[in-house]
Amino acid sequence: MVFALVLLLLAVLLGLLVGPVQIAPVKLLTLWSADQDMDGRVLELIRLPRVLLAALVGACLASCGAVMQGLFRNPLADPSLIGVSSGASVGASCVIFFGGFGFLGPGLGLPAIAIGAFLGGMAATAVVYRLATSVTGTSVSTMLLAGIAITALAGAVTSLFSFFADNEMLRRISLWQMGNLDSANWHRVMVIAAVVIPLVLVLPREGRALNAMLLGESEARHLGIGVEQLKRRLIVLTALGVGVAVAVSGVVAFVGLIVPHLVRLLIGPDHRYLIPGSALLGAVLLLLADTGARTLMSPAELPTGVITALLGAPFFVALLLRQRRDLVS
Amino acid sequence: MLEAQGLSFSIAGFSLLRDIDLRVEPGKVTAIIGPNGAGKTSLLRLLTGEQRSTAGNIALSGRPLGDWSPTQLASVMAVLPQSSRLDFPFTAREVVMMGRIPHATGLVRDTAIVDAALAAVDGSYLDKRFYTHMSGGEKQRVQLARVLAQIWEPVTDHARVLILDEPTSSFDLAHQQLTITNMRSFAAQGVGVLVVIHDLNMAARCADQLLVLSCGRIAAFGSPQQVLTATTIKQVFNVDVSIGINPLTGTPLVIA
Repeated sequence: MVFALVLLLLAVLLGLLVGPVQIAPVKLLTLWSADQDMDGRVLELIRLPRVLLAALVGACLASCGAVMQGLFRNPLADPSLIGVSSGASVGASCVIFFGGFGFLGPGLGLPAIAIGAFLGGMAATAVVYRLATSVTGTSVSTMLLAGIAITALAGAVTSLFSFFADNEMLRRISLWQMGNLDSANWHRVMVIAAVVIPLVLVLPREGRALNAMLLGESEARHLGIGVEQLKRRLIVLTALGVGVAVAVSGVVAFVGLIVPHLVRLLIGPDHRYLIPGSALLGAVLLLLADTGARTLMSPAELPTGVITALLGAPFFVALLLRQRRDLVS
Repeated sequence: MLEAQGLSFSIAGFSLLRDIDLRVEPGKVTAIIGPNGAGKTSLLRLLTGEQRSTAGNIALSGRPLGDWSPTQLASVMAVLPQSSRLDFPFTAREVVMMGRIPHATGLVRDTAIVDAALAAVDGSYLDKRFYTHMSGGEKQRVQLARVLAQIWEPVTDHARVLILDEPTSSFDLAHQQLTITNMRSFAAQGVGVLVVIHDLNMAARCADQLLVLSCGRIAAFGSPQQVLTATTIKQVFNVDVSIGINPLTGTPLVIA
């Protein structure tokens, strides 16, 4: 855990100092001081919010991923399974399409696209949850199937918007879907911090119950876990977390899937440690990916989601191969 | 004591259980036997509160089962389902430790209980091994140790109940014997043990009372001597057998 914190600190420093403009470490001392030069301003107004946003989004996606994998009892589950990401895509492209730009609610500083994405994500999750819930409780496997169906439907709706959109809209829609942190500012950092920090503190407290859930739902019930309430609580919390993350950064792929995997390889599957561990490593990885996105093609920027997918997909394939070898041997 | 009266259960118009009366008494091992599909597992699901019965009452220590909070219930009643799938690489110790979730006895006490429960199922050597790498029998023993750890010691003055659904299905002879010993020693501590078992001779050896289920009804109930007769077995399983006496234990021996 100490190691991970050091890693996070290093990643934050790297993210602050590296970019199209290289900044000398001494300039860090001028943060929030009156006598700032250009570099100091870049640090305070551009780099720091972006670094914090990346860390928070990474922590949020990874810890929600860990919870989802536990809840679905499937190490290949991912936060987008419950329809949040695809619903958010519909919301975002809808707002882009109908041209509701500008700022709704200046206090929050969130553009309409983010709000649309958040609402879309929540609506999709609500539908998935409803479909999977009957008098006998929520069926996790039905939820998986409903998630797939809603994701397909939402994909079609997003495609429809793209089809009728003009060039400029089309570019915005597809850029948003690639996942990007370039619109970071202090308002966004505050909004996501207000959601993610409590979330990351609360989720590990469900660790023991989630461990019991891995044994099976009836086993967990016999261990005194209120299974239905637990499922509802965790689905609401992860939907909220992922919804906010997607709203401020678009669809950043693979962090929620791969980070919990990595952490499980390092420290085992106990959710009491897995969730905070995933939060830390998720923050580190997204920070590094975002730093890469800003610098690889400098001064142009790659979408962060492209980097995470480029790194994540081969890693995922490696995991699958490893798993297959385990089955054979 | 776990007591059920007039229990009936039907699902989608099919009646799975009809008018079952059953008392799981402290200090006794009660075994449920019967052909496949007789309703054994359904009955366990009703008795553990996992499924609501269509008619009838269930009470634990005199209180209706529905009045118990999940944690309260879990602290006195441990249930081992037929099979559990666990695809995550927990160690045996971590799995058994989950049995202590309903309790707040502290890590020191819990560790001692986990040690003892693993030893009781001959699983001490599995301690640090990964569940995902174990054989079927080893997995089943670890799960058994988990439910034993759950009710290892009394927490209140309520009687403890241990419910096992085919606990020995993938055990070798030595571990079948060991499981009988464990059930008997828990019963000797005053725990009410209820077990679903397929092997009639094993049922005869471990149980104080046998309940024979057939097509969702009680076909026979009583001591192994009373229940395990050629007529009853012919009636319920439609198999001709002769009944001898186990020379080691004096219990009935079913020879098919």
